[in-house]
Amino acid sequence: MIQIDDLTKRRGPRTVLDRVSFTAEPGQVTAFLGPNGAGKSSTLRILLGLDRPDGGTARVAGVPYRRLRYPLRTVGSMLDGPGAHRSRTARDHLRWVARTHGIPVRRVDEVLAQVGLAEAARVRVGRLSLGTGQRLGLAAALLGEPEVLVLDEPVNGLDPDGIRWIRDLLRAHADAGGTVLLSSHLMGEVAGVADDLVVIADGRIVAAGPLDRVTAGYRSLEDAFFALTASREVAR
Amino acid sequence: MTPRAGVRFRDLAAAELRKAVTLPAVRAAVLGTVAGSAGLAALNAVGARGALGAGAAGAGPVPSAFDIAYTAAPLGAAGAVVLGVVAMSSEYAASSADAGGGRQVTATLTAAPGRLGVLGAKALVVALVVATTAVLAIGACRAVATLVLGDAAAEAVGLREAVLRTAGAALYWTLTALIALAVTVLTRGGTLPLVLLVANGSLVSFSLLLSRVTPWAYWLPDLAGRRLYGGLTTVPGGPDAVTGAWVMTAWTAALLAVAGLVLARRDA
Amino acid sequence: MRPGQVTAVHLARTTAAELSKLRTLPAVGLTAAATVVAGGTVAALAASSAVAGGASPTAAGVVTEVVRFVQAGMVLVGVLPVAHESAGTQLRTTFAAVPRRAVLVAAKTLAALVALVFTAAGTVCAMVGGAVVGSAMAATAPAWGVPGETEPRWAGPGAVVVSGEDLGRLAGAAVFLVLVGVLAHAVALLLRELVPALVTTLGLVLIVSPLLGSLTEHARWLPDRAAALLWAPADPVLGPADGALVATAWVLVVGASGGIRLLSSDAAG
Repeated sequence: MIQIDDLTKRRGPRTVLDRVSFTAEPGQVTAFLGPNGAGKSSTLRILLGLDRPDGGTARVAGVPYRRLRYPLRTVGSMLDGPGAHRSRTARDHLRWVARTHGIPVRRVDEVLAQVGLAEAARVRVGRLSLGTGQRLGLAAALLGEPEVLVLDEPVNGLDPDGIRWIRDLLRAHADAGGTVLLSSHLMGEVAGVADDLVVIADGRIVAAGPLDRVTAGYRSLEDAFFALTASREVAR
Repeated sequence: MTPRAGVRFRDLAAAELRKAVTLPAVRAAVLGTVAGSAGLAALNAVGARGALGAGAAGAGPVPSAFDIAYTAAPLGAAGAVVLGVVAMSSEYAASSADAGGGRQVTATLTAAPGRLGVLGAKALVVALVVATTAVLAIGACRAVATLVLGDAAAEAVGLREAVLRTAGAALYWTLTALIALAVTVLTRGGTLPLVLLVANGSLVSFSLLLSRVTPWAYWLPDLAGRRLYGGLTTVPGGPDAVTGAWVMTAWTAALLAVAGLVLARRDA
Repeated sequence: MRPGQVTAVHLARTTAAELSKLRTLPAVGLTAAATVVAGGTVAALAASSAVAGGASPTAAGVVTEVVRFVQAGMVLVGVLPVAHESAGTQLRTTFAAVPRRAVLVAAKTLAALVALVFTAAGTVCAMVGGAVVGSAMAATAPAWGVPGETEPRWAGPGAVVVSGEDLGRLAGAAVFLVLVGVLAHAVALLLRELVPALVTTLGLVLIVSPLLGSLTEHARWLPDRAAALLWAPADPVLGPADGALVATAWVLVVGASGGIRLLSSDAAG
């Protein structure tokens, strides 16, 4: 369960988040949509305790991320790529992450196999392709067997096989009662997997709710997206 | 930043140690320091043996193997700067853009949101790696010097003094590395601290120049700690070794405290 | 146009592009400015301490005393033009725009040289200015923090006189700084990445070279010590011109290996 309440963030004179509120429920895949620069990443960074809000709260499993005793056991996350040092191997990266939570090495090899990286385990991060780098980020997110998954553009760079794999993974995770929050630019992907939608534009939430309700009256999710976000562009 | 923000410190330190030993830059710095120091000591010892062989008796005191081993100390200080800087700057270096980008600090702080804990664990690991490197480097130098000189030079430095001076150099290097770590937290990039601290640790040190203008410069961390080297590279003036060590330690603690404060408050 | 002319035009355009990259990279401008300011400051400090100590230093004397202090800045200016490409994916764009890598290496080196010459000239001028200001200030003001030093002393006109021989040494100091920067550029061509190139060059110039200098006379063959003969007192084996040649040979050898590596390697670093 993710609860975002009245989140406000300013960078200099610019208000990048303006009283953003929404929830992502357990058992659902919630898609977080918005144009570039709308505030998706800022929201996710605050949710994960990386940045501080100027107002409001972001809670996961009822508490702010920084209050979680073993965060990776509750939330698995990936923001813009794996966030690994390029001169380390994929396996070494996961091993230090595992070490912070006392997760056994066995689990590292397990997730490497699960994301299809067993072959590339000893390849340095700098040599990974976009798709394999993305898989490494997913492996780190799955490491602690978390209840909540927060993924920024997870299908970015994945091949069709990988896209289907992650779609099934997210579906299964939600069906087992987990919470999934994913941001994406790919409307087709989102329409295929999301139960709920949250649309942000210019730092404000412009629509939120079940997929069919948000898209009611539009031919497709893409049409709904443009209509919802364009109105703000004009208003600006 | 509540104290109960809970990844155990022991696990955090173990993770930071793993990060450090799997980072090629750290391995290169340790290896470069040890091998470079040993090489310089060997060169120095060969020169000293030549001077002895030429029968320059009475041309001054016979150099001891220990003193010869000590000449490479400035190299170790530079190695310590590199270790302290890369421990932190590696967090902020972009991963390969091909692999999707991002910076390691995201992974670090999502795994361990307690930032003071992260900095503490990093400082501990940096201190450990640098102290180990110091003992290895000085030991290697000593061994090389003894090997080259053979019986030519009498050992004038007693065991107690040798241990004290080795500990002094190790402490100076460790504090230098921790200062580098703290400064890199503030700059987030490695370039500035590398250039400033390596330059200032060299013979053309700004602090040393400043000390010619004002005696207050002797209380700067690098000059205050200079006597930990045990006399070889010191300049007259300034606090004695023990006071200097405390002054340098106080600087280090203060800089780490500022770094901790900044790290805890700013956006990742 | 003949092939030679085509290459010349290509080189000129590529150099212009490389210069435009350097001009728009804030780190280069900031480093150059910081180096100039640092040069003026250390010269002022050295001059004022010399005057306070009762000496009357010449501008050239002060410059040669402190010129080593700004080597670090020159190294950074020298390393950045190549190293900044490897920090992201820009190298890919560069290779796509200039597939002829020999031209690229030549253009990069020319552009780096321009940046280095400007920085070195500015720094040496700032040092002369700093020396003049520093000695004048020390001559009229009490030394800071030194108990009992309250009597103003006049340094004499020596501080501002620049003779013909001095001009030679000042030019030598500027060329020395350029050579140190070009050496850093050559190392960067070889190592590509910022931190390894920076640590290698700084370590050589600031740490290893002075240490070796105190251990063995053969240290005169090191690039920075050879280049220093342009302003330092005469060496029994090498003259100033020989020193410059030795340093240039180092640059050529290291730079050529770096160039060959760049010519033969894949783009992804």
